[in-house]
Amino acid sequence: MTPILQTQKLRVEYRSRELRQGTKIALHGLDLEVCAGEVFGFLGPNGAGKTTTMNVLLGFVPPTSGSASLFGIDVRQPISRQRIGYLPELTYYYKFLTAEELLRFYGKIFGLTRAEMDKRIPELLKLVELEHAANRPIKSYSKGMQQRAGLAQALINNPDLLVLDEPTSGLDPLGRMKVREIIQRLKNDGKTVFFSSHELGEVESVCDRVAIVHQGELKAVGSVSEVTGRHTSLEKAFLEIIGFQSSPTL
Amino acid sequence: MNSPRTFFLLLLALLVSCFGLAAHLQPQFQAWRGSRASGDIFNVVLGDSRRMFANNFFVKADAYYHSGYYPTMFDDTEAFKTTHMAADTGAVKDKNHGDEHGFLGPTRNWIDAFGRNFFPDRHTHLDEGGADDNLGGTENVREILPWLKLSADLDPDNPQTYIVTAFWLRMRMNNVAEADGILHEGLRNCPDSYDILFELGRLYNESYHDLDRARNVWEQGVRLWLKIYPTLDPEMQKDHRFIMEQLTTHLGKLEEDAGNLPHAIDWFEAAQKVSATPAHIQEQINRLKGKLGLEFNPLLKPLY
Amino acid sequence: MNNIFAVAGVVIKELYRRKDFYVLFIVTILICLVMASVNIFNDAKIVRYLKEICLLLVWISSLVIAITTTSRQIPAERENRTLLPLLAKPLTRSQLVLGKFLGCWLACGLTLLCFYVFFGALSASREHHWPLLNYFQAAVLHWFMLGVVVAMTLLGSLVFAASSSNSTICFVVVGSILFVARHLDQVALTLREPLRTVIYSIYFAIPHLELFDVRDLVIHSWPLISWLYFSLALLYALGYVAVFLTAACLVFRRKAVN
Repeated sequence: MTPILQTQKLRVEYRSRELRQGTKIALHGLDLEVCAGEVFGFLGPNGAGKTTTMNVLLGFVPPTSGSASLFGIDVRQPISRQRIGYLPELTYYYKFLTAEELLRFYGKIFGLTRAEMDKRIPELLKLVELEHAANRPIKSYSKGMQQRAGLAQALINNPDLLVLDEPTSGLDPLGRMKVREIIQRLKNDGKTVFFSSHELGEVESVCDRVAIVHQGELKAVGSVSEVTGRHTSLEKAFLEIIGFQSSPTL
Repeated sequence: MNSPRTFFLLLLALLVSCFGLAAHLQPQFQAWRGSRASGDIFNVVLGDSRRMFANNFFVKADAYYHSGYYPTMFDDTEAFKTTHMAADTGAVKDKNHGDEHGFLGPTRNWIDAFGRNFFPDRHTHLDEGGADDNLGGTENVREILPWLKLSADLDPDNPQTYIVTAFWLRMRMNNVAEADGILHEGLRNCPDSYDILFELGRLYNESYHDLDRARNVWEQGVRLWLKIYPTLDPEMQKDHRFIMEQLTTHLGKLEEDAGNLPHAIDWFEAAQKVSATPAHIQEQINRLKGKLGLEFNPLLKPLY
Repeated sequence: MNNIFAVAGVVIKELYRRKDFYVLFIVTILICLVMASVNIFNDAKIVRYLKEICLLLVWISSLVIAITTTSRQIPAERENRTLLPLLAKPLTRSQLVLGKFLGCWLACGLTLLCFYVFFGALSASREHHWPLLNYFQAAVLHWFMLGVVVAMTLLGSLVFAASSSNSTICFVVVGSILFVARHLDQVALTLREPLRTVIYSIYFAIPHLELFDVRDLVIHSWPLISWLYFSLALLYALGYVAVFLTAACLVFRRKAVN
């Protein structure tokens, strides 16, 4: 299958603002491929390079070397983002807009016609269960509602690839369940989902394949069962791969 | 202890204490010499620094008099040393010289040349029609009044503001009562100003045709001048001779109109002592002496 | 172009949903009404000082709105992380900069329209005539001047991290230009080398915003500015807008936004 998300020897270095601290390597030659139709979990501890990888894929940060492409188009071309949807980790949207206005704004950027938006926006609001609050300003939303509004904006262009950066972060169990349901529904619709998460149980339940990244390097990649291997759970496999040793006193 | 009644009584006690304290402090505050409480709003807000702004507003009034065509500190200001609206009253000595029309000088570069298309570009006075050349609308001069009023409010000790305001109110606005009012306000604030007395005398003479009051006021002006002039430093004395010349020549003219020619001659002779153009005054004296039938020897003319 | 208009639309929505504009407008109206009620020697026909005060407030308010609105645009997007979902769309950074500029400039235009309508009503209530072309020239020149200020502030917002420091710097720069730019060449003459050359260079390099301050022409009923020079002034403003926006796009192009 042709990969729709691909990185080759991707390297990102940050120059530290502090004097005498030199540069920090965030990604160290990352090779990654995600194929159409799969739900891909991107795992790693804090500071492993997950968000940096997403930032490169979305064109927020230029790679120091190597390459990254979406649908075969270099990520430095804005057109590469025409068929993707993105939900950042912490969602803040224009608080003075209503959910409907927000979706219309993003719809315009994707070049949707008025008729397309009139059809698509109510569908999305229904999907994320925000129809009742469609005309309320976003500043009046709860955190879970804001996260769902964020998910709706990520889907406005009916994307073929969805990039989600810790989509359940900070949500209550009910909110997490709703987000998981939406991901499952997208999977059933044949969409490709690339998401990072700390919730390994969640990853185990929805992902087809996972990758574990640590200190900017890819440590493991494969189906959930391949990565879990001899371990009883993905969590135990994850801890071993990143070299975690529990304290003997505990 | 925690009952609402206790809190209510406590609140009442605090309020009574506050009122009592305020009643005790108020007279002391009023008596304090540095208090701004009795002053007007400018005094309360700006204190003595308000005088700095007063001159700006006085100049602003003159800029209005020219419909905005006015030099800045970077331009040639020789022709604007004395505000034209003040010089035109005849009560203020005119120190201007140079080109009134060309204070911007020749264009310096393309930005300067381009910029001159966006500024007022013609010397004009409001009482001569202003920017729109509306010669019938000489009452346009009313537009300088708000700035003069503001200037007078900010610096009540500057007699020139009252004089200029009163002159334009009287001469162009035909508002003699307001002119009278502003001059009396000026006298209350500057009781030793012979400049204001001079303008007040003109108002009585020219607008009310009350020669006696005009004479009294001008004579009071002369008495004040004689008292104050010796106390001034020599440089200041030069400037103050002009107003004495104005007072005495106007008194001379008034006495001439009243038929008191000897008195008139006395005033013109006094004027001659302070005048920058004594020969011109001498002509007046000769004319009056001629009227009186006194002998005038033309051979002595070159001496004057 | 659609993307630019979409971004501009959000900026305009933000302006009229915030309270800054309404506060400044109401304060302007109140001050003007208070000034109009002052009795100056019982003469009700005095009008120019009212026009002066009203226009001064309009100028101050418009500069406050232009600078504060523009300076917070991109820093607020970064701070609130709204920039991330926005740039994850097929929107180039240049389009974002142009959209922000257009939004702020149009918002300033709408604000100016309200202020000038009030100004016209106030002066007509005393003068009983409408010199519409004079008001048109004054308002359009004012608006184009704000275009330069908005573009300059937008560039500043990409150079300086904090919007407050950018606002302060822009206020100082704009104030300095309006007050002394016209005379900088004369100041240069009084200086020694190399300072003279430096000041001369600044004189020729800076946008001469004071050209657009035609309040005196409106207040004192001077004849209209020649339409040729009026058009050249607009071109002059557009030139500087283009310079600042190009610089802003260049700065933003390679900037990491994470």
